[in-house]
Amino acid sequence: MGSFRRDKDEEEDGPTNAYQNLEKTSVLQETRTFNETPVNARKCIHILTKILYLINQGEVLVAREATDCFFAMTKLFQSKDVVLRRMVYLGIKELSSIAEDVIIVTSSLTKDMTGKEDLYRAAAIRALCSITDHTMLQAVERYMKQCIVDKNAAVSCAALVSSLRLASTAGDVVKRWANEAQEAMNSDNIMVQYHALGLLYHIRKSDRLAVSKLVNKLTRGSLKSPYAVCMLIRIACKLIEEEDVPAEELADSPLYSFIESCLRHKSEMVIYEAAHAIVNLKNTNPRMLSPAFSILQLFCGSPKATLRFAAVRTLNKVAMTHPAAVTTCNLDLEGLITDSNRSVATLAITTLLKTGAESSVERLMKQISTFVAEISDEFKVVVVQAICALCAKYPRKHTVLMNFLSGMLREEGGLEYKTSIVDTIITIIEENVDAKESGLSHLCEFIEDCEHVSLAVRILHLLGKEGPFAATPSKYIRFIYNRVILESPIVRAAAVTALAQFGASCPALLANILVLLGRCQMDPDDEVRDRATYYLCILNSAKPELYKNYIIERENCSLALLEKALSDHLNGDLESHFDISIVPKAAIVKPEINNDVMMVTSAPRAPKITREEESAARLAQLPGIQVLGPIHRSTSPIQLTESETEYTVQCIKHIFAQHVVFQFDCLNTLSDQFLENVRVDLTLPEGYTARAVIPCPKLPYNELQTTFVIVEFPPDASSSIATFGATLRFVVKDCDPNTGEPDSEEGYDDEYMLEDLEITVADQIQKTKKNNFQVAWDAADSEEWLQAEDTFVLSAVSNLQDAVNTIIKILGLGAANLSEKVPEGTHLHTVLCSGAFRGGVEVLVRAKLALSEGVTLNLTVRSTDQDVAELITAAIG
Amino acid sequence: MLALINRILDWFKSIFWKEEMELTLVGLQFSGKTTFVNVIASGQFAEDMIPTVGFNMRKITKGNVTIKVWDIGGQPRFRSMWERYCRGVNAIVYMVDAADLDKLEASRNELHSLLDKPQLNGIPVLVLGNKRDLPGALDETGLIERMNLSSIQDREICCYSISCKEKDNIDITLQWLIQHSKSQSR
Repeated sequence: MGSFRRDKDEEEDGPTNAYQNLEKTSVLQETRTFNETPVNARKCIHILTKILYLINQGEVLVAREATDCFFAMTKLFQSKDVVLRRMVYLGIKELSSIAEDVIIVTSSLTKDMTGKEDLYRAAAIRALCSITDHTMLQAVERYMKQCIVDKNAAVSCAALVSSLRLASTAGDVVKRWANEAQEAMNSDNIMVQYHALGLLYHIRKSDRLAVSKLVNKLTRGSLKSPYAVCMLIRIACKLIEEEDVPAEELADSPLYSFIESCLRHKSEMVIYEAAHAIVNLKNTNPRMLSPAFSILQLFCGSPKATLRFAAVRTLNKVAMTHPAAVTTCNLDLEGLITDSNRSVATLAITTLLKTGAESSVERLMKQISTFVAEISDEFKVVVVQAICALCAKYPRKHTVLMNFLSGMLREEGGLEYKTSIVDTIITIIEENVDAKESGLSHLCEFIEDCEHVSLAVRILHLLGKEGPFAATPSKYIRFIYNRVILESPIVRAAAVTALAQFGASCPALLANILVLLGRCQMDPDDEVRDRATYYLCILNSAKPELYKNYIIERENCSLALLEKALSDHLNGDLESHFDISIVPKAAIVKPEINNDVMMVTSAPRAPKITREEESAARLAQLPGIQVLGPIHRSTSPIQLTESETEYTVQCIKHIFAQHVVFQFDCLNTLSDQFLENVRVDLTLPEGYTARAVIPCPKLPYNELQTTFVIVEFPPDASSSIATFGATLRFVVKDCDPNTGEPDSEEGYDDEYMLEDLEITVADQIQKTKKNNFQVAWDAADSEEWLQAEDTFVLSAVSNLQDAVNTIIKILGLGAANLSEKVPEGTHLHTVLCSGAFRGGVEVLVRAKLALSEGVTLNLTVRSTDQDVAELITAAIG
Repeated sequence: MLALINRILDWFKSIFWKEEMELTLVGLQFSGKTTFVNVIASGQFAEDMIPTVGFNMRKITKGNVTIKVWDIGGQPRFRSMWERYCRGVNAIVYMVDAADLDKLEASRNELHSLLDKPQLNGIPVLVLGNKRDLPGALDETGLIERMNLSSIQDREICCYSISCKEKDNIDITLQWLIQHSKSQSR
């Protein structure tokens, strides 16, 4: 200990960090000191500290270095110095994942963990668990069991927590320690009790009955440790959510009454946990919520900042799910907006913004702007998200909010923060036409001084898309061209593309754009030059249809499927040309918009895989699937059985140019049956021809297996709309529920009726999204395109928005130019939508709607195929 | 009173004539290495021991010599690590189960491959044939022949036949070890 203190004194002498300029190789050289005898504890501690410092600074040791260092360290077990020994434990833990043969210290550590020196024991257990793999676990199992029930709390805790860690790799061994964990539950120490519950729960987690037994037992007896009670509340909530008890019955459930009783616990932590649990339950009614909200309300006025923070954060999170209940706390939240703790104040204001009335927006925005510079990026993102939601709620407030956002954009901040602001502005621009001009000009100003390449590229793309249709497109040209002069190659390339968009869409500006693009051809970067040459070439051709196809509406193929199609082509005979139109368009994956947008979500954005890409990979394994060509579209699954039946079957339809592949996902829910040769028998309507049935050879209990049926479409598209009868056929063998092995070889045939299947127009159409529908529509007014027109009266719907939704749903088309949203208080609306019919037939639809008695619809369909055009008009009627 | 004076005297002695030595104890598993350490440390023999997983580090004081013993596990997966613990020690003690004739060849190969390591040049080796109390155990001459010890010429090498259970020849072993402590050997 003495040496430790002296080290500290030295540090105080020199204000600089003694560990600042360490070099890995020289520090590793120093580890030779560990081999000296007698051991110089003080010097060794210093060296170990340096190693730990290096590793934690992100320095990477290769396996050889780590192993050498590790073995040198093991020599230090001869010293009896307590501090040194504990440093060695830390070193072992850090190096355990990099060095080889770390099990060499097993024996020494087991000796320390069972020894007399209490200072060693807990740390030795933790070090031991970091070096132990499941093969070694048997050897230390006995010691671990002893330590779990040790009367020293620190030892017991260390053993319990380490067991929990080991459980992830060696679950079966740790399962055998349940009795010891149960004994530790009775400990008087609050931490031991908490950790013991954690381990016990983990061991029984997969067995619902065992968990509910555990919870029932513990909720009756009184747990001493508030931590353990908090944990119990969480487990109870999970059980409630899993059982999905409806609100009326929930009040009588013993689990709920336990949580409810915890609202009157003497520990604040438990009270908060209970309140938090209740407000987050799925099925609740106002009567159950009110005591929980009163608790949160009470905490809002607490002198303790932590309680205020916890309460206001919880209110913030549930503001969208229980707006009425949160509104009752508004008065308390008002009191918090000037809280000296900025985090509390931010959350209070954003909560009020979510629940408050339109009139209070300006006042709250003013309040928040007084301190927005002082809060951390993370909370600024919360503010931005709240503003985003506000804009959707009160479109008329966009000027105030937009100004606020642009102010925030100008300030310092990290990429994540800036991205969230730009996202918000883009969302506002897309949803609110009035805000477009001002939003674009704010963004233009932002890219003038933007260090984040990804953001600059996104904004340039947006300018290229929206700018040409603004009131004065020319004003954006300067901003964009400045990028060409000032920025990095990636941004320059994006700017060139944006310029070309203006050239293609604004004939008035074309001459100027050509000059600018000409200059871009001198660019030092290949990509920029290539793009400039490409666009110049197209723009110089002066053919609007080329503009449309190669500048304005670039093909958005699904890249994964394009790659697959190209490799198929290369493996083929190479005689024919590659036809890009057969590659399915990338489906428009809309981010799911739900109430979560207002919460603090930091989930990483996973790259989105469309259903088509997923099923293409899956279907590729089927024999003979190649002849069908590339996949056009996959539908979402449809249930063909009730959910609680013996066998459940769901169907996914994969549409190809001339074929449809039905994928049936079957689940056998009878544990005493083993099914074989499972297939689906379809009653085909006229015109359809069966091509193949791919049965599923074995369907054991509770395993999802798949069978396929391949059917060819009728030659004329008009008779493709049809209904199929379906029957599941299989051979049943009785089996032992425990082993799943069939009792005998003998089985008998059986069948099971499924619900009927349908193929609709929407199934056969892949949505596309036109950036500029009008250009495409006008271009389609030519010889190759055919038009069908019809007028209907839709009597089933009473307002325009419903009518629009129905049309889009029936046809499965993608709407362009935000036309799927009907402005309020209008009697006339036009929906513009587009898609691709199987086989790559393009479809454009203009639907004019008028509200009178019912809704009158005038539908104009333009397509390259007469049958398809008629099919679509027929689908509405 | 006398005892106290004696202890004080011992303490003085240990200050002036204190000697340290370091040795590494290796050999195949179940040859009796950990048992041997226990016997020289406390004089106690315990029949069933659990296999050493890794190593044990023991300090034993005999007279004015402190012996540091690195007792390394003999299971195959630890054998590659023997060398690391043998570097720079005063002596290597190699334990052989003299009664298990089937394993002698493996034991011989391990010993020779260990001593072939250039880092361990010149370090004295003591080969102990343990379990001489069991019927059919080899004696010194048998061991020297079967272990091919005569081929080792580049260092001091010695072979004793001992029994930890009967405490046979433990004393001469200790004597040999103490002779090789620092002051005597350097």
